[in-house]
Amino acid sequence: MTAVIHEQQAVPQPKQHGKPGGFLRHTNIVTGVLLGVILAVATYVIGGLLVPWGTEDSNFAQVGQEALIAATYAAWVIGFMIGIGAFAGPIRWWLGHDLTHADAEYMAGKDQGKWKYWKYTTDHKVVGIQYLVMAMALLGFGGLLAMLIRTELGVTWAEVFDPNFYNSIIGTHGIVMVIAMIIVVAGPLGNFIMPLMIGARDMAFPRLNALSFWLLFAAVPPLASNLLLGGIRDGWTVYQPLGTQAPVGMIGYQICIITFAFSTGIAGVNLITTIVTMRARGMTWNRVPIFVIGILAAAIMGLVWFPMYQYSQVLALSDFAFQSSFFIPQNGGSVWLYENLFWLLGHPEVYVIVIPATAALLELMVVFLRKPLFSYKIAVAGFAGVVGISSLVWVHHMYMTGWSPAAGYPFMLSTELISIPFGFLVLVMLGTIWRGKVWTRLPMMCVYAMIWNKIIGGITGVYLSDVPVDQYMHGSMFVVAHFHFMLMGAGLFGAMGAIAYWFPKMTGRMLNERIGSIGFWLSFFAFQLTFGSMFVAGLQGQPRRVLQFDNAFNVSNWLSTIGAYLIGVGMLIFLYAIITSWRSGQVAPSNPWGAKTLEWQTATPVPLENFPVLPVVTSDPYDYGVPDPYLAIEKKLSDENQDVTAGAR
Amino acid sequence: MSIVDDRPAAGSDQPEEPTNRPDVTYRLREWLSRPYVRPILTMFVVFCLLVIPIGWLVVFFMNMSGAPASDIMSEIEKTILVFTIVSAPLMAITLTIIIYSLVGWGRVTGDEPPMQESPAIRSNAIGTYLWIGATSLLAAFLVIWGLVELATITASSYGSVSANQQPNAVKPIDVNVTGQQWLWSFEYPDQGKISNEVLVVPINTPIYFNVTSVDVIHSFWVVELGIKIDANPGAITNTGVTPNKLGNFNIRCAELCGMHHAYMETQIQVVTQDQFDSWVREMGGKRTV
Repeated sequence: MTAVIHEQQAVPQPKQHGKPGGFLRHTNIVTGVLLGVILAVATYVIGGLLVPWGTEDSNFAQVGQEALIAATYAAWVIGFMIGIGAFAGPIRWWLGHDLTHADAEYMAGKDQGKWKYWKYTTDHKVVGIQYLVMAMALLGFGGLLAMLIRTELGVTWAEVFDPNFYNSIIGTHGIVMVIAMIIVVAGPLGNFIMPLMIGARDMAFPRLNALSFWLLFAAVPPLASNLLLGGIRDGWTVYQPLGTQAPVGMIGYQICIITFAFSTGIAGVNLITTIVTMRARGMTWNRVPIFVIGILAAAIMGLVWFPMYQYSQVLALSDFAFQSSFFIPQNGGSVWLYENLFWLLGHPEVYVIVIPATAALLELMVVFLRKPLFSYKIAVAGFAGVVGISSLVWVHHMYMTGWSPAAGYPFMLSTELISIPFGFLVLVMLGTIWRGKVWTRLPMMCVYAMIWNKIIGGITGVYLSDVPVDQYMHGSMFVVAHFHFMLMGAGLFGAMGAIAYWFPKMTGRMLNERIGSIGFWLSFFAFQLTFGSMFVAGLQGQPRRVLQFDNAFNVSNWLSTIGAYLIGVGMLIFLYAIITSWRSGQVAPSNPWGAKTLEWQTATPVPLENFPVLPVVTSDPYDYGVPDPYLAIEKKLSDENQDVTAGAR
Repeated sequence: MSIVDDRPAAGSDQPEEPTNRPDVTYRLREWLSRPYVRPILTMFVVFCLLVIPIGWLVVFFMNMSGAPASDIMSEIEKTILVFTIVSAPLMAITLTIIIYSLVGWGRVTGDEPPMQESPAIRSNAIGTYLWIGATSLLAAFLVIWGLVELATITASSYGSVSANQQPNAVKPIDVNVTGQQWLWSFEYPDQGKISNEVLVVPINTPIYFNVTSVDVIHSFWVVELGIKIDANPGAITNTGVTPNKLGNFNIRCAELCGMHHAYMETQIQVVTQDQFDSWVREMGGKRTV
C-alpha cells in the first residue's frame, strides 16, 4: 500500500462498536474482586488436586504448599486485573476495534457520577482521588499497627502479644507505611495536580495510569492477609534466611512487592513521559513549577531502583516456594546478596518519599509568603544532586553486616556528601522564608513543622552516616527514631500540608482549618515526644524490634507510647476534618490562595479535559512580590555616588 | 502565571547591575543596620550555644547503662560530641530563621489572599555562596573526621599493627562467637576450646572475635564496649576490642532473628588476668603461652 498525501483529507475515524465503553461498561471493582477471588479459589483447589499434600520431590523435601499459595496469590492479582477490565485495551486491538472518541470519554468517566471512582477510569483526576483514598486507608491501617506496637512496648511488665505475632505486626507496619508514604504525595498530587500544573489535558498514558492504581489495589490484600497466615516475622526488610522460616504469609508480602513494583514502574514511566512531553506551550524547563521537578526526580529514582527490590523478592519467593537457595547460605547462597539488592532500592526509596513532599511545600511556601521562590536553579540542582548521589549510598545500611568493612570508607564519603545537595533544599526554603510576611494558614504551618523535623532527621542522619558512630547505633531504637523523623516528620507532615493546600482543587471544598490545625499541632507535638524519647531509648542501648527489654529503658518507652497514642488522636482529628470538609465543607472558589500556577487558573471542580483552551505560558509561576526596598535605597545611593564622581570628573 | 500573559519573561527584565555600587564595608554596615539583622544574629549565637550542650546530653544518655569500657567506645562518644558541635550552626540558623519569621517580618491572617506582597528576592549571590561554602566545609570536615576515626577504630579492632609483633605486648585472645536462635556461645580456641554462654575476658588484652551463626543473621553487639558486627550464617566476620574497665557489660542481639530475639542477650565479664586464668583452669581449659 502506498501512502497518498491528500490535502484537507478528513482523518478517518474508527467505527463505533456497540455502546461507548464496550466491555468496560460491565466491569468495576465488584467484578474485579469476584473474579479475583474465584480464580484464586479455583487455583487453590485445582492445584491442590494436582499436587496432593505431602508429595515429596527427589530430595525428599515436601513440596506443594508454598508453591500453591504463591499461585493462589498470583491468581488473585491476575483475576482481579481481568475482572476490572485492565486487559480490555489489548483485546480491543486484537479484535481491531480501535478506540473512538466516545469510548475514550466513557473510559475517562464522563457522566458516570461517583461510580467512576470504582471503575477502571482513565481520567487523571479520578486516579488522583483513588490514590488519595488508598493512601489514607493504608496510613490508617499502618497507624493502627503502630498503636499495637506501642501498646506492647508501653506495657513493659508483660507480653501483650505472642512474640511471633508481634514480629508480624512490626514487619507489616513497616511495609504498609512505606507503600503508603511512597504513594501519598506522588499518587494523589502527582496524578491529580501535576498534569494541571503543566497545562496538560491528561497524563501521557491514561490507561497505564488506571493500570498503575489498580495494580496497587490488587497488591494490598495479599499483604494484609499475611497477618492471618502467620506473617512476615522479620521486619519490613525481611532479611534472609530468617524469611524462609516464616509461614506462608510471607508469600503475601512477596507477591505484594512484586505487584507493587510493576505499579510504581508503570506510574514512573507515565509521570516522566507526561512531564517531558506534555508541558504547555511556553513552559520551558526553567518555567516548570518546582513540584513538577520533584515528581520527576522521584519518578526517575523509583523507575530505576524499584526493580532491584522486585528482583530481591522474586528470588526470595523462589527460595521460599521453589527450593532454590539464592539467599540460603547452608545451600551455598549469600545473605549479603539479598541485603545489597534490598538496599539498592531501600535507600533511594527514602528520597522517593521525602522529595515530592519537599517539592510540594516549596510550591506552597511561595504562595503563603507572597515571594518568589529563592534560587530556583539551586533547588533544581539540589533535587538533581540527591537523585544522583542517592544511588551510591546504599551500603551505609550494611556497615555492620561484615560484608565489606573496607566499603565503609567510600560509602561514608558518599553518604555525607549527600548532605550538600540536601542543604541546597534547606537553603531554598530558608531563603524563601527570609523577610517574607507569613500568611499563617494550615499548609504554611506544615512547612515550619517539616523544616524542624527535617533538620532533626538530617542531623541524626549525619551521626548514623559515620561508621564508628553507627557501630554503636546501628540496629538500635535511635535508627527507628531517625527514620521516623525523615519519613513521618518530613514526609507525612509535608504530605499533610500539600493535601491541605490542594484540597480545594481536588474536592471543590475548603478544608476546615480550625479542626485540621488542632489535629495537626497535636500530632506534631506528640510526634516530638514519641520519637524524642525513642532517641533516648536508642542511645541507652535498646535494640529495635524487641518486645521486652531492660528496665532501664522503661521511662522512655512509656513516654513514647503516650506520645504515640496522642499522635493517633491528632491524626483522627485531622482525618475527621478531611472527611467532614469533603462531604459538607464550604464550597471553594477556583483560586482560594491567589496562586499563580496553572492548576488554580482553571475552574473548580476541574472539567473533564481540564482547560477550555490549552494555556500558553510566558513566565515562571513565581512572579510575586514587590521590589526590595533596601535595593531601591542602595540603587539611589549608587546613583548619587555616580553623580558625585561624575561631578568630580 | 496567568494563562495568557503578555509581560516579558522574568529574568530578561532584571535591573542591570549597578555599575557603581557602594563599597563592601558600607554595604555591610547598611545590612547590619537593618532592623531584623541584629536580632537574628543574636538569636543565632544563642541557639548555637544552646544546641552544643545537646552533645553532652547525648553522651549522658549513652552512658546511662555504663561509661565507656574500651577506647573504641570513647572514640565513638568523642565523635558524637564533635558532630553535634559541628552541626550546631546549621541547626541554629534554621531555628533562628523559622522562629524569627513567625514574629519578625510581619504576619497576615484571614481567609483572603493577602494584598501586601513581600520583597521579590529571587537570589542572593553572597548568601548562596556563603551557604554552599559553609555546608561543603562542614561536610568535608565530617568526612575527614569520620575517615580518620574509622581508620583509628579499625586499627584498634583488628590490630593493624599486630599486637603480638610488638615487644612485651600482651598476646591477644581469640574468641569464636556463635549466634543461634536465641543464644550466644563463646569458644576459646587457644584455651583448650572451652566454651561458655557468658563471655569472660581479661582486662587490657586485645580480644579478637570470629563471629558466625548457625541459622539466621544475628548481630553481636557489646554495648558498653562499642563494637557490633553481624553474625552471618555461612560466613565469619571479625571484630575486636581491648576492654579497659572491669565489670559486667551487656551483649545484645541487634538484628531481628525470630521469635525470642528480644531475649537473646548475655553478659561480658571483664576480669583481671589472674581471675581469667583461674576461670580458664576451672573450666578445664589450659593456658597457652
